[in-house]
Amino acid sequence: MRETYGVVLPGMNLEDLSGKLIVIEGTDGVGRSTQIDLLKPWLEQQGRAVVDTGLTRSALAGKGIKQAKEGHTLGPLTLSLFYTADFADRLEREIVPALRAGFVVLTDRYIYSPMARAMLRSIDVGWLRNAYSFALKPDAVFYLRIGVDDLIPRVVFSRGFDYWESGMDLHPSEDMYDSFRKYQTALLARFDELSAEYQFDVVDASADVDTIFRQLRDGIARVLSGEPREPLFGVAGSKEGSEEAAAKKPAEMPASKGAGSEDGDSKKPQERTATQT
Amino acid sequence: MKRYGEHRFPGKLFVVEGIDGSGKSTQLMLLHQWLKAEGYGVVFSEWNSSPLVRDITKRGKRKHMLTAATFSLIHATDFADRMERNIIPLLKAGAVVLCDRYIFTAFARDVVRGMDPKWVRELYSFAVKPTVTFYFRVPLEVAMKRLIGGRNGFKFYEAGMDLGLSEDIDESFRVFQGHIIEEYEKMVPEFEISVVDATLPIEVEQAQMRQLVKSKLAQAKRLRVAP
Repeated sequence: MRETYGVVLPGMNLEDLSGKLIVIEGTDGVGRSTQIDLLKPWLEQQGRAVVDTGLTRSALAGKGIKQAKEGHTLGPLTLSLFYTADFADRLEREIVPALRAGFVVLTDRYIYSPMARAMLRSIDVGWLRNAYSFALKPDAVFYLRIGVDDLIPRVVFSRGFDYWESGMDLHPSEDMYDSFRKYQTALLARFDELSAEYQFDVVDASADVDTIFRQLRDGIARVLSGEPREPLFGVAGSKEGSEEAAAKKPAEMPASKGAGSEDGDSKKPQERTATQT
Repeated sequence: MKRYGEHRFPGKLFVVEGIDGSGKSTQLMLLHQWLKAEGYGVVFSEWNSSPLVRDITKRGKRKHMLTAATFSLIHATDFADRMERNIIPLLKAGAVVLCDRYIFTAFARDVVRGMDPKWVRELYSFAVKPTVTFYFRVPLEVAMKRLIGGRNGFKFYEAGMDLGLSEDIDESFRVFQGHIIEEYEKMVPEFEISVVDATLPIEVEQAQMRQLVKSKLAQAKRLRVAP
């Protein structure tokens, strides 16, 4: 039977949710939606019915969040609760019915992105864990991990800097570039913490689109074949954590990709290789 | 992030709670008049009044889109907006803030709708602890009598129609409010709530309130000296 991270919502039956819940996580501009656009037709070719969903797309609160963000007047707690309401609406009205009908639910971010953002805005992580504790545990979380140096050119050359993605509410005196760099660096650190806690499958997102797609495809194929939830590409996070995981069952790794230029990027693959051999 | 009971502000926060028909809004209005006349900087804040979230809540209610979870979270969002942008700044500035319904309304309603009591309490743990919370205790039948004729029927969520307690909206309201009273009674010792006997004459209740409020106003700012 499926589990939640804590409380079960009234009227939510966790039995017979036979579909698969697959999360693509990652920071702004890392290429999540590009990958989802590739994964959906691929899954459908396999004969799998897919529902794709994402943050702030709920019928109830999605529009309200967008409007409120345009005014830039939301306090951090209000924004955080708004996201939680949006998530609850999608969970109850979209995700759970699709899982009950046996669909593959491919979600562009889940509870982790809003958690990471709220943590940067001084919201207590314990409070966040409780607020989101009604969330279903997914079958897999693929985290598209990137260093800030690889991220910046992608964002600049595609859509430019966005107010919220640059954390301008946190550093209003900075220019967008400086603020973006500072904010995303801090955000990626929070993601790494969450990655260790919630055991994300980490995908090196500095690679090209095809390489990332192949890794995601293989990872998802394994989830769909019903193999137990195990780290596929290694779990980022504390050294003890990864050694422990390796001791239980050596994780299968694809050939190590060239490490990114950022400190965090070059460290993690070494750890993984060390524990593997 | 400051939790319930950890805030230290020069202002004062007085809250009234109770079911519809308990007379709490009338009492708060009278308290408001008196505090103004006494020269305090006093501001009134109503449940469900954040301009930001109000439209979504209204639409959700009109279309019956809300489940126990989204009902709870949308109200928490509304409350957080009022807390962050209105109540906390006012308390920092030394105002006397009056709230018609507070987190206890959410605790009662959400728990009756099946939400986990601990989850809801933690969700609202960012709220400022009131200086005094008044609970207007009234038998259900007395409250129902006061409401009849006074208004044009109950609304869907107000009567707990989403819970399927009864097909009849008046009956549903009665059963739902009965459960709400049970939740309030549990909270009286838990949150050190001051109980007012809401069957007493209006002026007697008001005199009790003023006495308690006065004893807490030592440091609150007066805008001018009372005449």
